[in-house]
Amino acid sequence: MARYVCKRLISLIPIIFGITLLVFTILHLVPGDPASIMLGTNATPEAIQALRESMGLDKPLITQYLDWLGGLFVGDFGQSVHTGEPILPEILQRFTVTLQLSLFAALVGWAIAIPVGILSAVRVHSPFDAIVRMVAMLGISVPNFAIGSLLLLILSLYFGWFPPIDVVDFWEDPAEAVKVFILPAVTMGIVLAAGIMRMTRSAFLETLDKDFIRTARAKGNNQWSVVIGHALRNSAIPILTLAGMQMGYLLGGSVIVEQLFSIPGLGQYILDGIYQRDYPVVQGGVLFIALLFVLVNLLVDILYTWIDPRIKY
Amino acid sequence: MKKIGKYFAVLLTLGLLLAACSGGGQEAAPAQQENQEQSAETTAGPSELIVGAEQEPVGFDPHKVPAASSVRIYALVYDSLTKLDENLNVVPGLASEWSFSDDGKTITFKLRKGVTFHNGREMTAEDVKYSFERILNPDTGSIAKSYFSSIETIETPDPYTVVFKLKYPDSAFIANSSSAYASIVAKEVGDLNKEAVGTGPFMLDTVESGQYVLLKKNPNYFIEGQPGVDAIKFQIMKDEAERLAALRAGRIDIAQVSADFAKVLKDAPGITVKSYQSMEYSYLGINVKQQPFDDPRVRQAISYAVDRSAIVEVVWKGEASLTGPIAPAQTAWALDTSRYPSYQTNVEKAKELLKEAGYPNGFETVLETASTYPDMVETAQVLQQQLQQIGIKTTINQLEWGNYIERWKSKEMSLLVGRNTSGIDPDRSMRFFFHTEGSANVWNYSNPQYDQLVQKALEATDPAERKSLYEEAQILLVEDAPNLFLASPKNFYAVSEKVVGFEPSAAGEVYALVKTAKKN
Repeated sequence: MARYVCKRLISLIPIIFGITLLVFTILHLVPGDPASIMLGTNATPEAIQALRESMGLDKPLITQYLDWLGGLFVGDFGQSVHTGEPILPEILQRFTVTLQLSLFAALVGWAIAIPVGILSAVRVHSPFDAIVRMVAMLGISVPNFAIGSLLLLILSLYFGWFPPIDVVDFWEDPAEAVKVFILPAVTMGIVLAAGIMRMTRSAFLETLDKDFIRTARAKGNNQWSVVIGHALRNSAIPILTLAGMQMGYLLGGSVIVEQLFSIPGLGQYILDGIYQRDYPVVQGGVLFIALLFVLVNLLVDILYTWIDPRIKY
Repeated sequence: MKKIGKYFAVLLTLGLLLAACSGGGQEAAPAQQENQEQSAETTAGPSELIVGAEQEPVGFDPHKVPAASSVRIYALVYDSLTKLDENLNVVPGLASEWSFSDDGKTITFKLRKGVTFHNGREMTAEDVKYSFERILNPDTGSIAKSYFSSIETIETPDPYTVVFKLKYPDSAFIANSSSAYASIVAKEVGDLNKEAVGTGPFMLDTVESGQYVLLKKNPNYFIEGQPGVDAIKFQIMKDEAERLAALRAGRIDIAQVSADFAKVLKDAPGITVKSYQSMEYSYLGINVKQQPFDDPRVRQAISYAVDRSAIVEVVWKGEASLTGPIAPAQTAWALDTSRYPSYQTNVEKAKELLKEAGYPNGFETVLETASTYPDMVETAQVLQQQLQQIGIKTTINQLEWGNYIERWKSKEMSLLVGRNTSGIDPDRSMRFFFHTEGSANVWNYSNPQYDQLVQKALEATDPAERKSLYEEAQILLVEDAPNLFLASPKNFYAVSEKVVGFEPSAAGEVYALVKTAKKN
């Protein structure tokens, strides 16, 4: 097991290298540079040139790339060309916000999806099942910004309620944090739930058809001890895989929801970076997310062996 | 029976679970409101004004950062030598008076005495000299450098007098010195992005990345009775629907809104919508070097084909005015658009002009604009339809903002829809954008007669003479049509009823905010 984890971690190195190269190249291929975007149509060419020089953008691309890569080795993600502030602390700070929001959203999503999915599989082809499938379809197809805008507008219009604007960390003031995160978490949770619900349903349907379930039933176990005791663990792998991938996306920052609810998360940070061609911000942010994604997937793979001892690495 | 009971129990649990998840928001409502009212009473809240900001500031160095999201903040922290009143007249700022020499090449500013920086030190002529030298230093990369290219030397005969010696008479100098880009900074501060020490009505207190910027009142501000509130918080809320919801729920006090949202809010209880004529205008830019646009008749034809009022109605829902090269908010300088013959839509005449130029059946071309701004895209669409009437077929190319700027700079576009801001002084609207050597003349427009007019106007010290020179230049420019000036929109602010005295005008948000107070 330890060997497997080590191997996976080492295989990260070429992946990271590839990502740095890709992000750097794509970003610098896009027309528009930070200096002219900052100064807009109000600038003189000399002003743009002076700003470019002060941002270090006049250096050859390869030098810029190597400078950045060199910094990464010593844990220096560089500085924002706009604010001059170091990026890593900013990324970490934004990430704690995104992490809380993601966990919250996942919790909301799973709490709805797993029980409903199970019930839907147990009562397959019942009216309940039909409704669940319909709602899940809706959840998948309606974009989350629409759900979010609707929630915001309805709550503020008819109930005069609006979530607190300033983000508070959960460990500082849990009650306030719940108020801050509840709406965005529900917004994201609904979309998550739809996917997990469908996956739970189909995984359970497949498991419930297996011989060992029939055996368990024959032994006189009642419906729920069969479902919870026997089927749950055996259906968990595909659900967990999907949940792991969703978590990866969530941590990457649900840009639109963060924008909608003014949550200063990682997604928003990178989006601003893209608009302003703040190269170091985008490079650092994307790299950080890529790392997270890989790590979450590693974690899911490790969880497999715990859930299903037949899986060995 | 037993079985039914069990199902019932499971369903009930599930139902509760769902209710707990989805109903959370609503249940929290009364508690939330209570909490909010409490905090408003207990903290210094009553005089804290919360402004919904649509963008995050990107630094606070007034000489380096031109982003509007930054300017609105640092303009409250710093003062300039002069400032504007709500009628756009230049009035004393840090300088109490100023005078020109007879040849117009020397300007002497007398500074107010006893004005202190936020660090307690008195502001003197040395700081003014330092600030202007910093602006002029090419290493600073200051956007205001081109405003003050006439400066030759700066002298400080005493702590309260600054003398600018100019290379040539510069009538725009006084107006330009009111710009926030020309803020007077404390000479001992090295990195202005890290430390903001000004003389302004507010002091920079907290910057919470991605969330808000908090400014606290400067108790020693040199204007008695200002500012009207103890603090201003710029709450970053990028989504307009969110700002609207927050306004309705009483979470923020002031927010700039679009014309569409202004309509939605018209009858909202507790909210008033205020508007003013902005200094911006939309335009259709034409590359005069490129065929067939190098023929003035083609440009004239386009001007006659375009119905500008339709753009005002369709794009701006009627909340805009027709404009010439100087936006109508500049009442002292802008010409009445009825004086431009080509503003009368005349499709027949347009077709005739095209025929004369050798394009009886029109031609095909590309119309570029920025996808970032819906109004620009809509303007392009209206123009596309109108130009089709005279046989000019356009393909609209929507560009992301960064690409758009790049394209704008390239001087290689054919037609481009955009927006400009008329400067405080007509020199900017005229020379900066259309002089052969003008920094923002990306249209390759060059007319010696025009160049001469605007240069003469810049150097003219007699206001009446200046005005007539600019009139002549405006008429000439509209006739030559390197740009079609289209519409100057209104700006809208939604304001909570708790706010007193906030009267936005073209003079700027800052001017309105320092005079604003808040009811309990």
